[in-house]
Amino acid sequence: MSSRRRKVVAVIFGGRSVEHDVSIVTGQQIMEAFPAQRYDIIPVYIARDGRWFTGDALAKLDSFKDENILQRAGVKACLLSPDARHHGLIVDPLAGRFSRSDVRRIDVAFPALHGSHGEDGSIQGLFELADIPYVGCATLGSALTNDKILTKTVLRQAGIPVLDDFWVARERWLEQPESVIGEILSMFDFPLFIKPATLGSSIGIGRADTEALLRASIDIAANFDRRILIEPAITDGIEVNCSVIGFGGRYEASTLEQPLSWDDFLSYEDKYLRGGEGMKSAERLLPAPIGDDLTARIKETSLAAFQAVDGRGIARIDYLVRPDKNELYLNEINTMPGSLAFYLWREDAYTSEDLVQKLVQLAIDAHAEKRRTLYDYQTKLLDLASQRGLKGGKSLK
Amino acid sequence: MSELLLALLAGIWLLGAWMRIYRQARFYQIEEYMSGRYTRWVLAQRGRSLPARPITAWFLGLAAGGMLAEAPASPAPQVIALIAAAVAVYPPREIEVKKSLAATPRMQRLLAGACLFSALVFVALLNAIRAFALLDSNLLNLVATSLTGLALFLLAPLLLVAGNLILQPLESLLRRRYLRRAAAILERVNPKVIGITGSYGKTTTKVFLREILNARFHAYATPKSYNTLMGISLAINRDLIDDYRSEYFISEMGAYVEGEIDRICQLTPPDIAIVTEVGPQHLERFGTLDNVKEAKYEIVKNLPPDGAAVLNWDNPYIRDMAAAGYPDIILTVSRELSADVARAQGVAWIARDVRETLDGISFVVTRLATGEETRIQTGILGEHNVTNLLLCIAVAHHEGIALRDIALRIRSLKPAESRLAQDKTAAGITIINDGYSANPKGVVSALKVLGLHEHGARLLVTPGMIELGDLQDEENRKLGLLAAQYATDIILIGKEQTQPIARAIQSTSFDLSRLQVVETLSESIDWYQQHLKAGDAVLFLNDLPDTY
Repeated sequence: MSSRRRKVVAVIFGGRSVEHDVSIVTGQQIMEAFPAQRYDIIPVYIARDGRWFTGDALAKLDSFKDENILQRAGVKACLLSPDARHHGLIVDPLAGRFSRSDVRRIDVAFPALHGSHGEDGSIQGLFELADIPYVGCATLGSALTNDKILTKTVLRQAGIPVLDDFWVARERWLEQPESVIGEILSMFDFPLFIKPATLGSSIGIGRADTEALLRASIDIAANFDRRILIEPAITDGIEVNCSVIGFGGRYEASTLEQPLSWDDFLSYEDKYLRGGEGMKSAERLLPAPIGDDLTARIKETSLAAFQAVDGRGIARIDYLVRPDKNELYLNEINTMPGSLAFYLWREDAYTSEDLVQKLVQLAIDAHAEKRRTLYDYQTKLLDLASQRGLKGGKSLK
Repeated sequence: MSELLLALLAGIWLLGAWMRIYRQARFYQIEEYMSGRYTRWVLAQRGRSLPARPITAWFLGLAAGGMLAEAPASPAPQVIALIAAAVAVYPPREIEVKKSLAATPRMQRLLAGACLFSALVFVALLNAIRAFALLDSNLLNLVATSLTGLALFLLAPLLLVAGNLILQPLESLLRRRYLRRAAAILERVNPKVIGITGSYGKTTTKVFLREILNARFHAYATPKSYNTLMGISLAINRDLIDDYRSEYFISEMGAYVEGEIDRICQLTPPDIAIVTEVGPQHLERFGTLDNVKEAKYEIVKNLPPDGAAVLNWDNPYIRDMAAAGYPDIILTVSRELSADVARAQGVAWIARDVRETLDGISFVVTRLATGEETRIQTGILGEHNVTNLLLCIAVAHHEGIALRDIALRIRSLKPAESRLAQDKTAAGITIINDGYSANPKGVVSALKVLGLHEHGARLLVTPGMIELGDLQDEENRKLGLLAAQYATDIILIGKEQTQPIARAIQSTSFDLSRLQVVETLSESIDWYQQHLKAGDAVLFLNDLPDTY
């Protein structure tokens, strides 16, 4: 069957996240990338309020200009069933007397969700429950890389260069701001970066040159997350990004890019909307002109870092680099990068069509790898327990 | 008064007939509602077709009633007739129930139908006698009622069959609807279908294959030994209905008559077909082994041209199937041929260096086309399982699972229910349960496993093999010779059908004081529990249905 029929891939986008709109764009790009003759693509849209929908109209970006898109014919409510037997979507789950709900089997789930509830392990947990192969990092890798503080802790342990940092929980910031400021100032000089621990796409991130700005930035960041990361800003460096693809220790690194908007700071609009087509047309140098030696080190570091966080599927890893001093710092790992970092792979002769198919294959392989583990090992425990009664249960061990 | 007593009398007889119908239903079910087989079985059992107690009670009651009939007004004859009827219909104790009645919806319909029908027949008969024979005498009335009641009671098995016949149109309507539903579900879930048939080894191969395919995919296999059209559709309607994850549906296809596999294949058209063995199992239903082969070959004929047939090359009848050249992909396996011979004959997979210990079997599997090979190790017992495993390996590899993954999975296999399953009792006695449908190949394997227990007593408990047609006595004779070789103690169950085994054992130097013949399985269990001790081993070989 798997050879006979077309693979059914559900591309899931939108989501309950500040990056909802970006995700719609990424989702559309992924759906377009699949060769139609070999795949059945099911668009699954998660609205801002968390409702799930499916329907062909959702596969067109233009549809989203229409405010009433969710009332269009063919767009139906759906949910991903955690019941492993369904292995897919329940379409129209609350169908009434005159319509019926239906199960739509999917072979692979392709989340195109950025940020909270999509890139942080939550939806990955649902896929695990449903026992459906899915693209991208597993629960742990997603949750870990979503958290900047823990990512740096793990990477440091793995010998990967990261900047020193300080972090504070919102509760402590609200109760003892003076001691927090004191601690930060004793550790670092200005300028500093202030970041919510788990958000991507620059939202809530501030840069401070003065104590007043530092206080203001922490206040803002505290609106977006419970934990706040503070690290020194590197003013004499450049940003370099590298994409990694693979699974189970077999990883490949892409050509490196140097985004050109470092001058001051990437604003949200800069990052996604300049040129109107997402990251594709943002100004950048590709490949990044940093010399063969540093390029090789960054690629090597990227592979090691992705492995250290149990990564799989695709990621874009961002670095701060001082080419003159031959220094590099891993800044963050995006496990669901905007536009899937398609543009980084073009130099390596991977088209977006190749990439999405490779990602689907990786998802299937990873799932097969998981199937090697036996989950239902039948024991006689219940028979024994019922014979002896539960009070005798301890002796069963 | 006497009318009331007469009605009471009729009621007792009818109740008795109903109870008898209920008791008999179990056997009818075991015979799969096949009226011919069931009727033959009843008639062959004198104690069941003409039970002694009811007839005697009826006669004595009649005689006693006749003697007391001098005083016409006395209710004595009626009372005696009532007592006689009650004694006659009181159900006898059942000897040993191994498989009790399964109250399936069909059985409930059948019981209701048969009971209703018997009541109608009884009332009709009584009225007819009254109307035509103009019985004005109380006594004659009593005799007629008793006689009709007895007849009804004795004919209960036939009433059951009649009930089935009457319900036939309804049953076939329901059956067609049930099959249509199953077909629709299968189409919706759309798994790849793997059909397995063979005279034996089907269930074991099915269970192994499911476990191995699950190393990479999700495979569903029909439960237990479900292998009939209705059994398979039951599995689909019950288990597959909302199971959209299954990428494979493994369908065990049994054949008791020609054309049966064709019908099953219509419901579950296979993409891959496995034939395990062609042997004398159910030979009495087929006549010749060539007929068995033809019946099994139906599964290959039902493959699409680009399907795959996976065949046991060691069986000459199955070799013929491979020679027919259909479909495009034919994968054969052998555990008997050497690599050179096998390669020359175009065999795909072979096993060599087979070793068997009490920890299980082990062998090297080679894919002759590429020379790929690996050592397979498993806790499964019985050398015949090498063939079953080879068949599974060929399928799993064909479906894209790496040999190394297959080997890993086989390590954790467990035997299918009651198929050479080894267990230790609290008393330290090893129980080898091979209670399921023993066949000539499996018997050899099982006895060799018993022989592997070098220390302590080795007890064989068996009722012998059945349904092997003309070959039955010969195969049972071989069983006896092997038993004498590998066992230290033997208990045969059922004096009559085990005679060939007993004679074979007597022809050897086996210590006859260690051979017993008993009538029930429970006697043998009592014996081993009393006489065996820690370190001893018992092999339960075959367990016959209650109709034997």
